[in-house]
Formats: sequence, structure tokens, C-alpha cells
Amino acid sequence: MMTLGAGISLEKNPTLAAKEAVRSARTKMQKERVNLAIVFSSTDLSSPPLLKTIGSMLEGVPIIGASGLAVISNQGILKHGLAIMLVSFPKSIHYNAACTREISVKGGLAAGEELGDKLLQQFKNIPRTLGLVFSDKLIEEDSNFIYGLQTRLGSSFPLVGAYASNNPSLLKTHLYYHQDIFSDACAGILLGGKLSFGLGVKHGWKPLGKPHTVTSVKGNLVEKIDDKPAVKFYEHYLDCDSAKLKTELKRISVLYPLGIYLAGEEEYLLRNILSIEENGSLRFQSNVPQDSRIRLMIGTKETCLDATRHAVDEAKKGLSASVSEMKKMETNNFAVVFSSLSRYALLRKELDKELEIIKEGLGPDTPLIGLYAHGELAPLRAANRLGKVYIHNQTVSVLNIGG
Amino acid sequence: MQNQPYSIISVLGPIGILSAAALSVALAIKSNKTKELRAKVDNLQKTLEEMDEQAKLLVSTDMELNNLQEELDKKITGLYSLQKLSRTISTTLEEDQIFTRVEPALLEDLGFEKSMAFLWNEKDKKFVPRLDIGYAEDETGPIASFVDLNKNAFLDIIKTSRTLSSISLSQDSVTKEKICNAFKVNSFIVAPILPKEGNKGFFFVGTENAETPLTEGDEELITILANQIGQALENARLFETTWRAHQELENKVKERTRELTLALEEVKNISKRKTDFVSSVSHELRTPLTSVKGYASILLASKLWVLPDEVRARLEKINKHTDELVQFVNDLLDISRIESGKVTMKQEAQDLTRITAEVSDLLGVLLKEKKIGLSCNIADDAKSVFVDYNQIKRVFINIINNALKFTPPGGKITIKSYKAGEQAQIDISDTGCGIPEEAQSKIFEEFYRVDNPINQEVKGTGLGLTLVKNIIEAHKGKIWVKSKVGTGSTFSFTLPQP
Repeated sequence: MMTLGAGISLEKNPTLAAKEAVRSARTKMQKERVNLAIVFSSTDLSSPPLLKTIGSMLEGVPIIGASGLAVISNQGILKHGLAIMLVSFPKSIHYNAACTREISVKGGLAAGEELGDKLLQQFKNIPRTLGLVFSDKLIEEDSNFIYGLQTRLGSSFPLVGAYASNNPSLLKTHLYYHQDIFSDACAGILLGGKLSFGLGVKHGWKPLGKPHTVTSVKGNLVEKIDDKPAVKFYEHYLDCDSAKLKTELKRISVLYPLGIYLAGEEEYLLRNILSIEENGSLRFQSNVPQDSRIRLMIGTKETCLDATRHAVDEAKKGLSASVSEMKKMETNNFAVVFSSLSRYALLRKELDKELEIIKEGLGPDTPLIGLYAHGELAPLRAANRLGKVYIHNQTVSVLNIGG
Repeated sequence: MQNQPYSIISVLGPIGILSAAALSVALAIKSNKTKELRAKVDNLQKTLEEMDEQAKLLVSTDMELNNLQEELDKKITGLYSLQKLSRTISTTLEEDQIFTRVEPALLEDLGFEKSMAFLWNEKDKKFVPRLDIGYAEDETGPIASFVDLNKNAFLDIIKTSRTLSSISLSQDSVTKEKICNAFKVNSFIVAPILPKEGNKGFFFVGTENAETPLTEGDEELITILANQIGQALENARLFETTWRAHQELENKVKERTRELTLALEEVKNISKRKTDFVSSVSHELRTPLTSVKGYASILLASKLWVLPDEVRARLEKINKHTDELVQFVNDLLDISRIESGKVTMKQEAQDLTRITAEVSDLLGVLLKEKKIGLSCNIADDAKSVFVDYNQIKRVFINIINNALKFTPPGGKITIKSYKAGEQAQIDISDTGCGIPEEAQSKIFEEFYRVDNPINQEVKGTGLGLTLVKNIIEAHKGKIWVKSKVGTGSTFSFTLPQP
């Protein structure tokens, strides 16, 4: 049975915060040996002393995590804080953590392949079940990165993760691996053995207007839609010129993201606009495939929160047994939640509602940890199976791990 | 017939004609279907276009609603944060704590992640930082230097009571650029902190977020918040002044109390020394007085020889004065004994009518001689008293003796007793000459005698009423006098009841 210990701190000093959160988490672990520490912190705490302190207190335990605009915990959404989840796996569960640096030099594909190779090193003849991956948000070739990972781990292997996020003042996002803080890096943990998990990935935005086609694209830079400069797409629906669009880009990006139709998938894949280029091209937060059928998407706070409810339901269904049955079977569960920065911007005062929905859905005893991310990595659910892994925007993904 | 040209029939034959006819029919049908399909496609296209137009309308309405909602949310959030900040700030009366109560989370809700506050120090002629939020330790120093370098500009904000912001300054303003660079923000508001008394200053808030523009509403909120800080500073300073004054007063009271305690101790010591002295002197006097009186009595008894009349007269005077002196010494001794607590009252339940009857009997001859009437009116519920019989009898004798002394012949003395609370009150009234008002508070003092013609004629020690007072107080009672010159006096005292 997995043993879990979650701790948080609101201390402003990184060293004190680390001490408080680790102590709190350890108390709940009793004398169990810790196998893994998942660490998420707000950007203001993201500094070397934070990881050094956690590392020295946990003595050799693999640490993996990232910084974000806000941290999700059982105690609330922490705009300034630290959350730690300590996990002690039973012998029937196997795990291996790895990290790859200098992605920008290696390229997305090579970085993905390298991380995949490293993760597999401890998994010879052991069936793998799930991969948890974190990456710097500044990865440019994100699709290639996933492809690289999939070439090693399997094209339909479930990967769940997040891109680190930051506040507007920081240019770098931070990735936590063991006792170090990295930028331009990715890290992951591969899990296998007697482990089950449920995953819910939803956004709550609905398509609006007629379908269009992406006729020219380079990675995340969409040049033409229906053979016209991409910006015309938004100018048409919002009835304004690009200058006006630029002034309200952040709001428009959150309220009306681009929806990519994916044949056979239940949900549209959303993309937030990052910028409008001089030539009328639109730069999105993640890659958009060539010839994609796209729609303008619309959502409200209510549909957004409904989606969270559905995501939690799916995450619960995916476990091999219900939470109450798991307790009887002497197994345990915890949840890792990634929610988009766009949801953070949209929900604002109702952020706590999203957390309440998650807590209520998973049950008050399920420890959870999470991050407001710059992009969420998860498979979209096809009719009866977990489908292909994508980088999502505007999405909440709830990963419920039991074992 | 042979010259007839080849007809279609002859060329295609009948089957061919039939096939051609079928083909043309099929083509006609297909053409119709194509037309229908095209019409459907056109319809669909049109519907899609209409949907797209509807989508535009929907987006436009949604955008407007979102704008309104956001504005409303911002206002509500702003007001809520302002109210919370104001409440937190105003709940402290310590100047240093006012700034520490500005919570970063609430400022963030107002849309600002950075803040600083400075107060002008008149003595050093410089701005002193009192608050910094959102800055690293090494960032505040350069900002303080910038403020010092541009102190006149910031003093101007205080002097003019004017809020300055990145929206009130023109886009290309040098000041705006300077402030943005120094404070590391994209937009900012600087509002004056203006308490009525003491150091004034300014409150700065800023954000690096370039995407959410400031509004005049933000300016208003921050100005109100700065006013609240000013008000809180004023209250804290006022409290500080009042508290200091209170402390000073308390210290003075303590000092005075200490002095008074010392003085009281001194008075007690002096009083004790006096009592000891009087007691000692009285003892020493009583022994020779007893001898003097003894010898005088022997001589007067004429047992040794017959005394000439002149000698007898002198001896009688000696005897009389000795008696007076003995009485005086005895009174003094009694007073000092009671004061020093050497005499304990042997309190028992006594009948007041018995005491008054005995006193009346004792003084009957004198009353008769002066033709003064004595009446007693003792209420049933005030009859029983818990007293030392002999001592209280002395009280009655002393007071009535005084009344006799100062009441002209034909006058009247009245004893009245009634219940007053849990005690019995006794009023002894006479129709004598009365006591002047200024003397009334002094008559219980030792050796005090009212300055009147009777006292000038009749001898007295000035100890009688002092003794009376001591006896009453030893019974936990009180004694006082009410008197009017020419009308008479009433001596009232209380006695415990069983």
C-alpha cells in the first residue's frame, strides 16, 4: 500500500518554507521510507536554497517538480507557497526518475528521446504504466518533444505532465530535479507495476461558427487560415482590427481560444494566442498541425467549472476500484492536478470553487498536489480508451493514482 | 426511298436509340439531382455563413458581458480589498505595525504586486522607507536612493496633496519613465500620506503587468488607502501622546502615593511617640498626685490638728485641683490606651434604657440645680446595643455633662435613639448656646476648646470629646455634631447592635 504525506508552507523564506512543508509531510508518513517527493512552489520561492533544504532533509530521495504562478493543495490555492507530496511506494510498484537539460541546444525531439531513454533505464522487463513529465515552458518544439518521448516509451503510452509557469516579471521558468533548479530542461518519472490510475482531461469550451482550415503553419506560428493571414480569423469574429486585438490579446486569448478538431476524440484541442506578428500570423502557446480543421471556441466560468467536475468524474472512474474500496483493499490514492494559467485568469475569485469541486469529487481524504501550468500534457480520452498525448491549453487534468 | 438520307434509326439501330434515350433521361435526372445537391450545398453554405454571423453577434455580446463582469469584479474586488486593508490597518495603534499590516495578497487583489511607503523625516531632511512588498532585499536600497535624489518631486506630492500615477502623467513623461525604471514596474500610483500631525509621506503601488491597464478607479482606491494609512498614523500618534500623558500622570500619582504613604507612616510614628509620651508622663504624674491628694485629705480630716480656716480653704483648693488634675491625667491615659489599642472594649448586649437611666440618676442633682429637663425616647428596635457598658456610660456622661455646661437654666436635654441601618443611632440634643460652624469640625480634636464665654469661666481639659470619639470609634461607630449658635447642639453617634 502506498503511504502518502502532503505538506505545505506559506513562509516567505525558501529555507523556512522547505523545512515547514517537509516536516509537515513527514509527520503524516510516520516512519515509512520516502521513495519520491513531488514539489511545486510559487515562483517567489523558487530558489536554490529551497531545493537544497528539501534535498538535505530527505537525504537521497528523488525530487521532481516545477514552479508555477500558483500551487494547488488540499489547504487551498497558494499564490505564495510551497506544496510537497511525499510518496512511499510498496514493492509492487516500480519507479524511475530522470532529467534532461539543454533542450534548446539538443532540440525537442532529441530531448524527448533522451528523457525517454533515461526513464527506461530501470525498467527492463518491467511493464510500465504511467509517465509523469515536467518541462520548461520555453520549449519551442513541444510536439517534437512529445514525439521523441513516444518513440521511446510507445506512441500510445500515457504521459501526464505540465509546463512550468511564471508570473509576468520572470523570463525563466523553473524545473526541480533532486537538489537542483533548472531552466531549459525537462524531467519525468516513470511508474509501473501494481499501480492503477484514472485521468480526466477537460476544458469546457464549445465550438462556435463555421469550421476553418489552417493552410500554413510553422510549429506554433499559424501563418494562414483559409489562405488568409491568420489574424483575419479573429478580426472576423471579434469585428475589430489587429491593433485593437493586440490591446486585448490576453483576454481574447483566454475567452476565445482556437479549437482544433481531432477526428475520433471527444474534445477539441485548445490553443491560446501568445502574440500577433507584424505579417498577421498568430503565435500560439503550443503547436498547431498543418491542415487542422479549426473553430473559434467560447466558454464561461460555469462551463469551465462543469468541465472540472467531469474531469474529476473520469479520474475517479479510471481507478481499478473506488476510493472507499481501495481503503478496504489496503491500497491508497493521491491526486496530481494541473490547471491552465488561462483558467487561473478566467476564474480569478472562483478559483477556490474549482479546488472545492476537485476535493469534493475525490473525497476529503485524498491528498492532492498541483500546479497552475503554462501547458498541460495529457492524452485526450477517446471513446473507450486513453487516446493520443497532446499539449493542452486552458485545460484541467486530474490524475488519480492508486496503489 | 433509296435516295433518302441515313436516318438516326438506320445508324444507331433501335437498341441504340433506346440506349440514347435512356442515357438522356439519366443525364437529365442526374442533372436535376446535381442541381438539388448544389442547392442543398448552397443552403448549407448559407446556413454556415448565417451561423458564422450569429457567432459574431454572440461573441460581441459575450465580449460586452465579460467586459462588464470584469469591471464589476474588479470594482468589487477592489472595494473588498480596500475595506479589508483599511480594517486591518485601523485595528492597530502602533505606528510601526500599521505598515506591516498591509498584506501582499490584498494588494495583489487590487492589481499590484509591488509596494513601498516612505515617511519624511524633518530632522534628517530625508524620506525613510517604512514598507516594501515584492522587492528583494538588495532592490530597496537603490529605490531609497532614487527617492532621496528626487525628494523634491515627492515632497511636492505631499505639499499639493496630489496623487500621481502612470495614467495621470503623459505617455512620454520623463518622471513616469524614471519612476517606472527605479521601482521596476510598468505602471504605478503614488498617493500622499497626510496625517494631521507628525511626519507625512507617500504610498507607492506598482505592477509589472503591462497587459492590465490602470484606471482612474484604481487611482481613487489607492488614494483612499493612503488616506486610511494617514488616518491610522494620526490615531496611533494621538494614542501615543495620550498614552504618554497617561503614563506620566500615573507615575506622578504613584510618586505622590509613595510620598503620602511615607508621610502617613511618619504621622503614625509621631502619633505613637506622642501616645507613648502622654502615657508615660501621665503615669509619672499620677503617683505624686495620689500622694498630694492623700496628704491633703489627711490634713483636711483634722486628725492631726485643727486647721485654721485660711489653711483649710487653701487645702480644699489643693484637694479640688488635685482631683481635677487626676481626672485630667486619667482622661489622657484613657485616650492613649484606646489609641494604642491597649484597651479592648468588652462588648456585650446591653439595654440602652438602663444606661440612660443610670446616667440620668447620676446627673440628677446637677440637672435639678440648673432646672434643666432630661427626656429619653428610645425606640424598641434601638434598645439593645452591643457595647462596653462602662465606656458607653462615659460617653453619655461626657456629652450630657457638656450639654449641662452650655445649656442655660430652664433648658432641655433630649436623648433619642432609633434604628439606622444595621446600627442604633443616638442623638443627644440640647438647647444650649450652640457651637460656631468653624469650630464644629475641631471639637473632637485633643485639647480643643470652643472659644466662648462659658468655656472662659468653666475649667475643662479639652479631652472629653476626644475620649468620646475614641470610645465610639473603638466600637466601630461614628460620631458627629450638628449645631446652630443660639439654638443648641445635637451630638449623634452610632453603636453596633447584637
